Amino acid sequence: MKLLITGASGFVGQYVVAEALRRGHQVKAIIRPTTNAKRLPWHNHPALELTYLDLRSQHGIVDTLQGVDAVINLAAAKPEGDFYVRFAGTVIATENLLNAMIKAKVTRLIQISTFSVYDYFRIPSETTITEDSLIESDPLEREEYAQVKLLQEELVREFMLHNDHNYKPQVTIIRPGLIYGRDRFWTTLLGGKLSGNLWLRIGAYATMPLTYVENCSDALICAAERDEAIGQTINIVDDNLPTQRTYVKTLKKYGAQIPKTIPVNWKLMRSLAWVFWKYNKLALKGQARLPGIFNPVILDARFKHFNFTNAPAKQLLNWKPRYSLDEAIQRSCSQEELLQISPLSVNPSQEENLCGSPT
Amino acid sequence: MAMLAEKPKTTTANSNVLTPKKLKAAVIGAGAISKEHLTFLDKCDRADLVSVCDLSKAAAKYAAKRFNAKSIYTDYRQMLSEVKPDIVHILTPPHTHKQIAQDCLSAGAHVFCEKPITPTYDEFKNLWNFAQSHNRCLIENQNYCYNKPILAIQKLIADGTLGEVQEVEVRIAIPVREGGIFADENLPNPIHKMPAGVIHDFITHLCSLVVRFIPDFERVSAAWNNHGGGELFKYDDLDAIVISGSAHARIRFSSHTAPKTFAVTVRGSKGYAETDLFQPYLRCVLPRAGEQLSPLINHFLNGWDLIGATFTNFRNKIMQRTCYEGLHLLLDKTYAALIDGKETPINFTHMERTNRLINALLSEENRL
Repeated sequence: MKLLITGASGFVGQYVVAEALRRGHQVKAIIRPTTNAKRLPWHNHPALELTYLDLRSQHGIVDTLQGVDAVINLAAAKPEGDFYVRFAGTVIATENLLNAMIKAKVTRLIQISTFSVYDYFRIPSETTITEDSLIESDPLEREEYAQVKLLQEELVREFMLHNDHNYKPQVTIIRPGLIYGRDRFWTTLLGGKLSGNLWLRIGAYATMPLTYVENCSDALICAAERDEAIGQTINIVDDNLPTQRTYVKTLKKYGAQIPKTIPVNWKLMRSLAWVFWKYNKLALKGQARLPGIFNPVILDARFKHFNFTNAPAKQLLNWKPRYSLDEAIQRSCSQEELLQISPLSVNPSQEENLCGSPT
Repeated sequence: MAMLAEKPKTTTANSNVLTPKKLKAAVIGAGAISKEHLTFLDKCDRADLVSVCDLSKAAAKYAAKRFNAKSIYTDYRQMLSEVKPDIVHILTPPHTHKQIAQDCLSAGAHVFCEKPITPTYDEFKNLWNFAQSHNRCLIENQNYCYNKPILAIQKLIADGTLGEVQEVEVRIAIPVREGGIFADENLPNPIHKMPAGVIHDFITHLCSLVVRFIPDFERVSAAWNNHGGGELFKYDDLDAIVISGSAHARIRFSSHTAPKTFAVTVRGSKGYAETDLFQPYLRCVLPRAGEQLSPLINHFLNGWDLIGATFTNFRNKIMQRTCYEGLHLLLDKTYAALIDGKETPINFTHMERTNRLINALLSEENRL
């Protein structure tokens, strides 16, 4: 297949491009105009075509889509910036891409979404989060990342309904849990940053909906290859998900860098946040904007106890996570070049762990 | 165009007694600054938010849903034709203002335009004449003139407390090169194409405050620099002196000093007042009880005021009250004036003086 991958130089994008090339696909990788492509280990791969575009502008997108079989949209705003910066980099970029797909008659889209879209505040604890779980009903209570990803997914769902005689989109929405990997071990699912290298570590026994970046990249390529994924929304998490305590222990075991932490009991933190939140709602008419760790809606999205499943992903994508937690962290802490590609070294039909039936 | 379900607005006790006349308001441009305009329009009893228009349908839709606008458009000319607003807020990049404003004025709408209203003084005058010929009001957003500390300093001058104004310093320090929308080289901000480059985004604020206290000028000297170098930024530093009789003003923009500040100092023949609009406080040093006791009393009162400002600013931060408080007051006064048929709070004189000073700062003959 000829895959167009947006956000190709991002944390996930680099691995998705590498996985696509390993699987023998032709790849058009979209990177921002000022990206230094030479730092990307696969930049000179013969099956790769680099395209410098900023999706916040419509310019050049239709031309780039010519001859493409499927689009994997990983483009998103960088983590810094206010709501409107994130909105432009995530929502408007996606809007421009979707409009260009219609013009270029490219129908197949794999859209990366997030676990952040679920309404963890209203879903009872110990529930198993599935693709049908409640979607956040009050986005303004959530952090800006969740707000723009909700809007982006809404946009893609409208696109899915686009239907005329000449054009009918074929969309798969992939919702990964928190994606970790080399240099991305410490996460907001473990606590809240106080300052510099000091974090408040909230709770210890919540199950973390994690997916290792190579496992997630594998799933995204499987989604592009499998007709069964068309029209589906699929959660991606790894097997044997760790609790917060297990995860931190594993990080320590393999020498990953972790910040200094002050532990705090989850229920105590939740109660404290609830008091602040209620006071804001009742006395301040909801006008106050409290730090995330004093907002139970945001706290629940990170630390409330839930169960997670990847059964639909395994069935629809014929996928299973290639690396366990131990293997993933060991790989990531090693000196091994994870993005190195031996061109066409892997034949999908021979690889046991791949998802079969490439189109 | 899409029509959206209307949500009821919050009704105040006052509006139950008397429903004031409302202006049909529309917004063109749903970027970051639109949040401040739309927050006002959503709550104001004098405004009926009839439409939001943006080239991005997603942006228009988000803004309309969040702030209860009745319709969305991606083509402003279609919006003007179908919605027929009484007033349009133009919140698009500056180089687009003139054309959009002319179209709005031609369609019979008053225009409230974000700063800078036009790239040049001549274009401002042309646009003003165009508005006059269509008997419509044209208002440039000079919101910081309506922040509480500035109004307080104006009152100190008006009641003679500071004496005659002799010096004004207006200083903005913002690290525009260290990330953010202005430093983005992937999709350069349109402001970089303006005559003052990125400083054009701030120059209306700088100059509108100077002319509030020193209305006219005789001599101007301006040093425009690009200390950080590179192609993206035309200038990143401005240091200018404005002289009017015995009164002097200094205008300063720096992207290399910390912390972020918007400092205004006004020195009169009797005393001085200073503030920082980003971290508001008001410090007044005045003759209070004779030459011997004045310094002691001033220090004590200034310290007391600063402690009070600390708590007020903390509360404002928690309560999401930003340095745009002046915009809401300016808009409120503008809508009241338009409904009552009175002169708008930002009038031709304010805009002409401000844009003439900007023009002088940019003139080649005034450059150091």
